[in-house]
Amino acid sequence: MSEILIDAFKHHLWANLALLDACEGLSDQVLDASAVGTYGSIRDTLAHLFAAEQRYLLHMAGRGQETGPLAEGSFPGVEELKNHAARNGEALIGLAGEAREVCRPHLCLLRAGHQPCHRAPGARLHGAHPAGNRAAGARSLDLASERNAANVRGRPVTQAKERKELTLPVAGMTCAACVRRVEKALTSIPGVEGATVNLGAGKAGVTYDPRACGPDEMQKSIEEIGYQVPLASMELLVLGMTPGHCDIIIGGALRNMPGVKSVVINPATDTVSVQFLDSLVSGWKIKKTIRSLGYEVHDKGEGQDSADRERHLRSQEIRRQLTNLLIAWPLAAIVMLGTFSDYEPLNGIVPSFLGEKLVLFALTTPLVLGPGRQFFVHSWNGLRRGVTDMNLLYATGIGAAYLIAVINTFFPDAGFGGERATFYEAAALLVAFIVLGRYLEAVTRGRTSAAIRKLMDLQPKRARVLRDGVEHVLPADEVEPDDIIAVRPGESIAVDGVVLDGYSALDESMLTGESIHVEKKAGDAVTAGTINKTGAFTFRATRVGAETALAQIIKLVEDAQTTKAPIQALADRVAGHFILGVHALALAVFLFWFFAGYDLFFDASTRLLLTPYELKDLEVFGFALLVSVTVLVISCPCAVGLATPAAMMAGTGKAAEFGILFKGADAVEAAAGIQVVVLDKTGTLTKGEPSLTDVISGSGGDEELLHLAASVEARSEHPLGEAIVRGAAERGIQPAAVQVFNSIPGQGLEAEVDGRQVILGNQRLMEERGVNIRAFLDEAGRLEADGKSVVLLATGGSALGLLAVADTVKETSAEAVRELKQLGLEVAMITGDNRRTADAIAGRLGIERVLAEVLPGDKAAEVRRLQENGRRVAMVGDGVNDAPALAQADVGIAIGSGTDVAKEAGRVVLIRDDVLDVVAAVQVARQTIRLVKQNLLWAFGYNAAAIPLAAGVLYPFFSQIVSPELAALLMATSSFSVTMNTLRMRDYRPPVKRGPPSSSPEPARPQPAPALEAGG
Amino acid sequence: MKLQAKDAGLLSTVAYTAGSLLAALIFLLATVLTGDYGWVSRIGGAVWIFALSMIILMPTVTPLVRGRLEPGYQPPPAEEHTRH
Repeated sequence: MSEILIDAFKHHLWANLALLDACEGLSDQVLDASAVGTYGSIRDTLAHLFAAEQRYLLHMAGRGQETGPLAEGSFPGVEELKNHAARNGEALIGLAGEAREVCRPHLCLLRAGHQPCHRAPGARLHGAHPAGNRAAGARSLDLASERNAANVRGRPVTQAKERKELTLPVAGMTCAACVRRVEKALTSIPGVEGATVNLGAGKAGVTYDPRACGPDEMQKSIEEIGYQVPLASMELLVLGMTPGHCDIIIGGALRNMPGVKSVVINPATDTVSVQFLDSLVSGWKIKKTIRSLGYEVHDKGEGQDSADRERHLRSQEIRRQLTNLLIAWPLAAIVMLGTFSDYEPLNGIVPSFLGEKLVLFALTTPLVLGPGRQFFVHSWNGLRRGVTDMNLLYATGIGAAYLIAVINTFFPDAGFGGERATFYEAAALLVAFIVLGRYLEAVTRGRTSAAIRKLMDLQPKRARVLRDGVEHVLPADEVEPDDIIAVRPGESIAVDGVVLDGYSALDESMLTGESIHVEKKAGDAVTAGTINKTGAFTFRATRVGAETALAQIIKLVEDAQTTKAPIQALADRVAGHFILGVHALALAVFLFWFFAGYDLFFDASTRLLLTPYELKDLEVFGFALLVSVTVLVISCPCAVGLATPAAMMAGTGKAAEFGILFKGADAVEAAAGIQVVVLDKTGTLTKGEPSLTDVISGSGGDEELLHLAASVEARSEHPLGEAIVRGAAERGIQPAAVQVFNSIPGQGLEAEVDGRQVILGNQRLMEERGVNIRAFLDEAGRLEADGKSVVLLATGGSALGLLAVADTVKETSAEAVRELKQLGLEVAMITGDNRRTADAIAGRLGIERVLAEVLPGDKAAEVRRLQENGRRVAMVGDGVNDAPALAQADVGIAIGSGTDVAKEAGRVVLIRDDVLDVVAAVQVARQTIRLVKQNLLWAFGYNAAAIPLAAGVLYPFFSQIVSPELAALLMATSSFSVTMNTLRMRDYRPPVKRGPPSSSPEPARPQPAPALEAGG
Repeated sequence: MKLQAKDAGLLSTVAYTAGSLLAALIFLLATVLTGDYGWVSRIGGAVWIFALSMIILMPTVTPLVRGRLEPGYQPPPAEEHTRH
């Protein structure tokens, strides 16, 4: 006899969808048929379970009840499964309904002959196994990670492979090589499956097996290679502590929390200081834990979350590089003037003592050992661990120029060019230019993350919580679900909730991009971060802390910024291998000029390009070394590391300002390259809610017709009927009581209203009942040709009139289609409606390509068919219903998510329900990719063009070589160009958001559209 | 003596240092055999060759050695990951 233990989530529909999705790839063969009973397959079992669950959730929602953890036996699916199992001689023994921190679908099957492998903490048994052998055996399938695990049949029980994702802040990275070093360090930790580091965001996204490694190992590994993981900190006032006892209890509890790195408790001052990784644990949870131990907790200071810490580190880096800059440039300028003090026009102006070699040595040495020290330290740290980075190029260049200068100062006859070629100015200017580049990069990194900071700043720090009728001003992270919060005019909303009483208008533009204030009354939802403009109201908190819409949006944008677009991965690969390549090139150049070039081409009148230097005393080693060093310096693509992530951060941040959320840099790149946009009809192009559009009555008049129709339809649950009832109510017509009611499937309804026999339905019903409808046939035909659904009404055997119902096209749909076409995209509409209806709506919107009569499950296949023709397809639709098609498309764009962004399936999520945002998303994506390409050109262009010059290709013809300082100038120009180019994104607005286009100054008027058939 | 995974670090250090010294030695021999170079050029050149060789060999030899001696070792990914 078999037993089934299903461990799944009960009140997260999306988790269920994920489970079902996971089942798609799982062969039914993995199950022994006897274990699943009459449901036949794992998929059927789960589908049944989830259908029951959805009914339960809808039922609870309809009663206005929260669906918290389910009580044993309260879940209808359990009983149904139990009954099925009992009928088949099986027993359902476990159904765990506890919510978990990590939503991972698991399915465990207990079968004879195996050991139980996985039992969730808190899982409860819901039935007894008849044989009493519950622990007889088990097999665990982690569906998410083993979706293709058809070969698990018969395999002994093994621990399912787990996978977690974590975002760690990383400070101290400066270039693409740093990115590779951190990635390398993370991926070399056993258990880490993948690591993606974003230089601009200063974040590392890690996928890992939590049983093999954890954040501690990652932090240690990152710090070992010279970078930092900034921690959030918090200082709390904890009242009620007793020395020697309570500090142990609190310390023990906190140290056991994942993400808590250090706890310092001082009972004498009632202070608890905690350092923690806020990607793993929130300050709110820490405080809640202490409270749960029976202590009173208050914030002692403002604390410092990781965003503050990151901001602090960024400004610290900018200040540090600015200090270096202020030291380096004046000294370098003096060295430069001193070096050329003998030349026109400086002779006679610059004191000649500045040209003394010892003075130059005295000025350059602190420059190299001060601002230039960082490059030597970083490259040494890297070399010790066998990795190279840009710092090595800087250090080699600066070190070689400085060493030659020192040798020529103290040993002028050593053959390095003599005392006329000391190169102090080269070393000094190299330091100055590189420090300038570093400063610009630090500034750029700070600016590009401004969008995220702007979102973070929206989060209010405090809230007015009403407890026991008294208003308490509490930190926002101490607000708990179901707390009542008071809001006054001008204040920000602290957490998500539902208005209880009061009336106001809220500015939601920061989240949705919608500039018009949104009115709120009792029952309406409010979102954290929005601003109350006018009235005062109270609301009940529903989502707090990391669950608020704002927190989800921030996380989504942050996550997106830790991903890499394919173009960035390519740039990183090139940059990563570039340094080795450059050193190999420098070696080859040295060998060439040492063994062949010097003898063949050296000219005593040799000059450094754009300088008055003559290098006639330069011997073979000095010359070859100078050329080799110049190649190293000029090749350094220091701006490459920043070029792509800076543009991506600026682009995704800018998009978020308009309510457009890209879930990854790859989504930005894909959206920029799409060729076809497939728009789902219902809910995307149309409002998705049918409304009454036409009332055509005979002798009885419109009012009587509507009254009778609404009375009959009031008993119906059909969407068409609901539209009629709503339409009547809008016209002030109330339905009457219905005495007899009968539904005729597929045809209509019949009922007795006010003693009159009423028939309401289609032509077929009328004809069957012998009703003469000839007077209305022409109108009915015309309306149906327009794609509307027509309902005829008859009483006493004669027709009174007809009503037409249709979905309504959104105001902006036609304009959006026009704009998409102007972007050079092919626009297609996909719908389940019949061809005639679909063509009618498509014709109004200007869409030529119509994919009609497509069942919801076949939409993905249609998208695939377009892709097979070599087209890159974007699918725009509802994030839940159209999830398979969104997943199939090159870019899935989920429209109108509201603030439930995390649930959406698309790689691009549009918060607002406006098709014009699809246009804006494409425009932002294209602008971002344009910026990326320009940045890469600026970053690589100078260097690539100048390498042959530095290697001395032109030397045989002109007897001039590129000076190291000129190479450094080119390098700094790269950084400067990338910085300035990226900052252009700050003022960018997608053209479609800049105001009405000249071609259509007025928005399109709402138009009726059909949508009552198969649904679009 | 059979080499073990823990010897990977030491072995790679020996390998790239020896390779760089060999390159510098070859350079030195070449300067002696092919032309009339001064000792500053010869020694200075050899030092420069050694330094560049170390920089080139360190990050290339280390993963190769570790890959052979440490079964679970994975070199840095040839392709960057994108998170989905």
